[in-house]
Amino acid sequence: MIKLSSLIVGGLAAGLTLGAQAGTLDDVKKRGTLSCGVSTGLAGFSQKDEKGKWSGLDVDVCRAVAAAVLGDANKVQYKPLTAKERFTALQSGEIDVLSRNTTWTHTRDTSLGLNFAGVVYYDGTGFMVSKKLGVKSAKELDGANACIQAGTSTELAISDYFRENKIKYKPVTFDTSDQTRAGFESGRCDFLTSDQSQLYALRIGLKDPKGAIVLPEVISKEPLGPVVRQGDDQWFNIVKWSLSAMIEGEEQGVTSSNVADKLANGKPGNKRLLGGEGELGKNLGLNPDWAYQVIKQVGNYSESFERNVGSGSPLKISRGLNALWKDGGILYSPAMR
Amino acid sequence: MLKQKTTEQIKAATRKTESGSHAFYNNPKYRAAIYQALLIFGLAYFFFTIISNTFDNLEAAGIKSGFGFLSNAAGYDVLMSLIDFSSTDTYLRVFIVGFLNTILVSILGIFFATVLGFIFGVMYFSTNWIVKKISVIYVETFRNIPLLLQILFWYSAVLATLPGPRDSLSLGEAVFLNVRGLFIPKLVGEGGSILVYLALAAAIVGIFVLRSWAKKRQDATGQQFPVFNTSVAMVIGLPFLAALVTGFPFVIDYPALQGFGFRGGITVIPELMALTIALSVYTGAFIAEAVRAGIQAVPHGQTEAARSIGLREGKIMSLIIVPQAMRVIVPLLNSEYQSLVKNSTLAAAIAYPDLFNVFVGTALNQTGQAIETIFMAIVVYFAVNMFISFIMNRFNSNVELVGR
Amino acid sequence: MANTFKTDPIEFKPAAAQPAPSSTVGPVAWIKENLFSSIPNSVVTILVILGLLNVVPGVIDWMFISSTWSGASQDACVSDGACWVFIQAWSQQFFYGSYPSDGLWRVNLSLILLFVVIVLSFTLPANIRLKVSVPLFLVLPFVCIAILDGRLVGLDYVNTDFWGGFSLNVLMAAAAIIVAFPFSFLWALGRRSDMPLARSISVVFIEFFRGVPVLALFFMGSVMLPLFFAEGTNVDKLVRVWIVLIFFMSGYMAEVFRGGFQAIPSGQYEAADSIGLGYWQKTLLIILPQVIKVSMPNILATFVMLFKNTVFLLIIGIPEVLQTLLTALSNSNWLGGHAVEGYVFVGVIFWLCCFGMSMLASSIEKKLDTSHRN
Repeated sequence: MIKLSSLIVGGLAAGLTLGAQAGTLDDVKKRGTLSCGVSTGLAGFSQKDEKGKWSGLDVDVCRAVAAAVLGDANKVQYKPLTAKERFTALQSGEIDVLSRNTTWTHTRDTSLGLNFAGVVYYDGTGFMVSKKLGVKSAKELDGANACIQAGTSTELAISDYFRENKIKYKPVTFDTSDQTRAGFESGRCDFLTSDQSQLYALRIGLKDPKGAIVLPEVISKEPLGPVVRQGDDQWFNIVKWSLSAMIEGEEQGVTSSNVADKLANGKPGNKRLLGGEGELGKNLGLNPDWAYQVIKQVGNYSESFERNVGSGSPLKISRGLNALWKDGGILYSPAMR
Repeated sequence: MLKQKTTEQIKAATRKTESGSHAFYNNPKYRAAIYQALLIFGLAYFFFTIISNTFDNLEAAGIKSGFGFLSNAAGYDVLMSLIDFSSTDTYLRVFIVGFLNTILVSILGIFFATVLGFIFGVMYFSTNWIVKKISVIYVETFRNIPLLLQILFWYSAVLATLPGPRDSLSLGEAVFLNVRGLFIPKLVGEGGSILVYLALAAAIVGIFVLRSWAKKRQDATGQQFPVFNTSVAMVIGLPFLAALVTGFPFVIDYPALQGFGFRGGITVIPELMALTIALSVYTGAFIAEAVRAGIQAVPHGQTEAARSIGLREGKIMSLIIVPQAMRVIVPLLNSEYQSLVKNSTLAAAIAYPDLFNVFVGTALNQTGQAIETIFMAIVVYFAVNMFISFIMNRFNSNVELVGR
Repeated sequence: MANTFKTDPIEFKPAAAQPAPSSTVGPVAWIKENLFSSIPNSVVTILVILGLLNVVPGVIDWMFISSTWSGASQDACVSDGACWVFIQAWSQQFFYGSYPSDGLWRVNLSLILLFVVIVLSFTLPANIRLKVSVPLFLVLPFVCIAILDGRLVGLDYVNTDFWGGFSLNVLMAAAAIIVAFPFSFLWALGRRSDMPLARSISVVFIEFFRGVPVLALFFMGSVMLPLFFAEGTNVDKLVRVWIVLIFFMSGYMAEVFRGGFQAIPSGQYEAADSIGLGYWQKTLLIILPQVIKVSMPNILATFVMLFKNTVFLLIIGIPEVLQTLLTALSNSNWLGGHAVEGYVFVGVIFWLCCFGMSMLASSIEKKLDTSHRN
């Protein structure tokens, strides 16, 4: 009877299935939309507004890939995923690219059949404490309670750090950022720890944002980036270079507003990037204007950053490490030639 | 059911002797065998497909399978554990810690849910209008709101509003309640305390002996014995006597404000409190409903008969009505207890480190061993529920109607 | 003289009844009788009233008096009360998820169809009720899916990722229980069967799906099921969860049906046998209709349980109503703790639906209960 039921249900399911695997580029073109795995809700990175529209830094990566491949940044099918199912979803072909603030680690890169296609945001685990406590460094937190925003690497990072410094603490690990913030605010814990990018979001959610300070310690490296399946090098290249196009765009001063002008009258480097010269697009298997579309529709990295997490957003995160290499950060695109 | 079987058998027997069709497929015995063979074949094929697909997929994705990860160091800490735990311990120990936490919250939940359920179930029959309505409102409110919302409500709307550690609500400088939890003094036994524990054990054994003796005496002579009062006296008296003899070999460890919070004593974390409250209030509503149904199932004549022989109202409830209602209530309790254990997995919504949260949650996140972790969790919940079912069935056979 | 005795036949005219003593009627008496009948009763009543006075005004003030009802963004919320602006701004998301605005009628149509079929199944004339409503119920989920999906009926295709909100909770629960219906019936039959193998397989299945936490099943649907399908096949997440829910439900419903089977007098089986009906004829024509009738209150109770359990889908990231709430709470323009408003809102909707259904269940139970005991 199980057989029977599974057959019937399977048959129904077949009506709603999509084929996957093999050439991801062809699949995406045939389907006409890019299927992109994002977070179920993470301020500044992937968030939905009351109209159901997705925005954020991670979302912009999806949009950039869609603009490069399909010529339209809006042809993205967003799949909100939990931390547990994100890799399964990518492995099983449910999504074409995973852009869900995922930390690039050795284990993930080597043992899960996945490839990281670059870094969108250099993050790190940090601490936030109430000003009243008068704590200046994380080392003074012996015996304190910690509200931890469950990430997959936060728990490990904080445990390592406190063991290394021989400090005791009690971890109160919450699943959602809202609860983490509420726990900190109610006094359930003395300090709050999460990725730095989220600390800012958590802080502005507080009733009195000025009453809390972010400590200087950053205890781990968390480079976040888009992930693709291993074994499809063409697709891997497309995602990698779509991201690079945004960074290169900022380096060259190409923005969504002056992109047409730069294509017509810009420097040779501008023209090469935007498809006026050379065969960058063709080598990727895309149209010559792939990067033009990325920058026109999504913007360069700076525009996307400021719009989603920087000065143009409520989060007001400064560029810091995520500034271009020539501005004191470590953001660097491989040469566009 | 029994009746029906006999008719089937009679039919089968008559068919055999009939001279109509001799084809073997018309013989119900063979036909049953064929159906079952097909069923087995279908099932075997189904599982074979699933398993071989799974292995193919695991291999293609490069995921290691097996339980080897259990001996690896977990690398993360757990908020509360009944046994010693540090982040250098293995995943297996995480599993045990989570399991014990699940058992703890289940036992607490079952206890309080039963108490609440019986109180509100009996309150329904109160003559006080307001009391009766409270019982109805309690049942209808808490039964009809998803448990997840209730857990979040108790945790973030009630317990989170308690004062901070420095402004704790305190009871005689010994018991403290604040947003970090409930802090109570701990009794630490020294040499000789073993005697006190033994006395307590002896008292508990003694109660069971006393109960059966009193029941026999009542059956034989009709005389009653104050079992309850004697039991209370025994449980308190015997250990007290033992303590007196050994000269109170205990030190009381009071919780005290130190550094960032309280140290010493026993800490009941608010996550445990919220989960226990939510589980017992939610399940209590269902139990109250079961108790109400059970009491309503007792014919009214029983009450009247009891009144006519002059029993007081309280005695009628406890001696006549509830024992009979138990026949209806106990099977329902069984399934409510089981669903309470299953619902304790919602600890994941707040930060209570139960089996599901620390093992299927964090450990699965860290290792990616989906099949193994989920399988282990399923086995545990299944086993716990079987155990509950076993106990309740034993209990059920005690309260079942015994024909004399 | 004989005639002198002739009077009108005596007519019995009772004197008008005296009004009930003023101590037993009227509000005062009612209060005395029901609230203050004895000293302990009075104490309880007073304590309860004091308790209510302590809590209720604050709640009312927060919810209605000092709350903010209109505005466009959270900047409008300056008072201490509830910020209902948040709910208002997100209401479409809460009810319909991200379903395209010009296609909302499709969601509404599905919900209306569901409602109509349910009403029909209670109001049709008794002789055709089951014959009509059972097939209607069985095709309903597929019709709804076709309407929502759009491809089969020539509407715009709407991917399942856009489905969401409270309507998803309702449709998911309904679709799961309806499809589970025939399977659960088979499991219940299997459990009563004389064939030992069929019986033990049914028992294992039923007990497995009843004994395992629904969260574990959802995790299975989200991270284990993809591994079960052949390489390259990729079943939509919502469909995977649907499959899991169907299995889960059929385990529970099988037990409901088993109870129903046991409630059917054996005379019914014997009568069916005696008029020469075969096994399936007997089961489908004689027994099943009666089983469905007596099981109705329990089926509704099971549905309520399933319906409440659909909020657990948030654990695996399905955008049902509570997940939508969490997504809304993490939007950077709405950071600021509207969690309580959201929980109250979702709690009230669920309470209304579930309370309505349990009222329905108990009214059916009363109708079915022909015994007169008290």
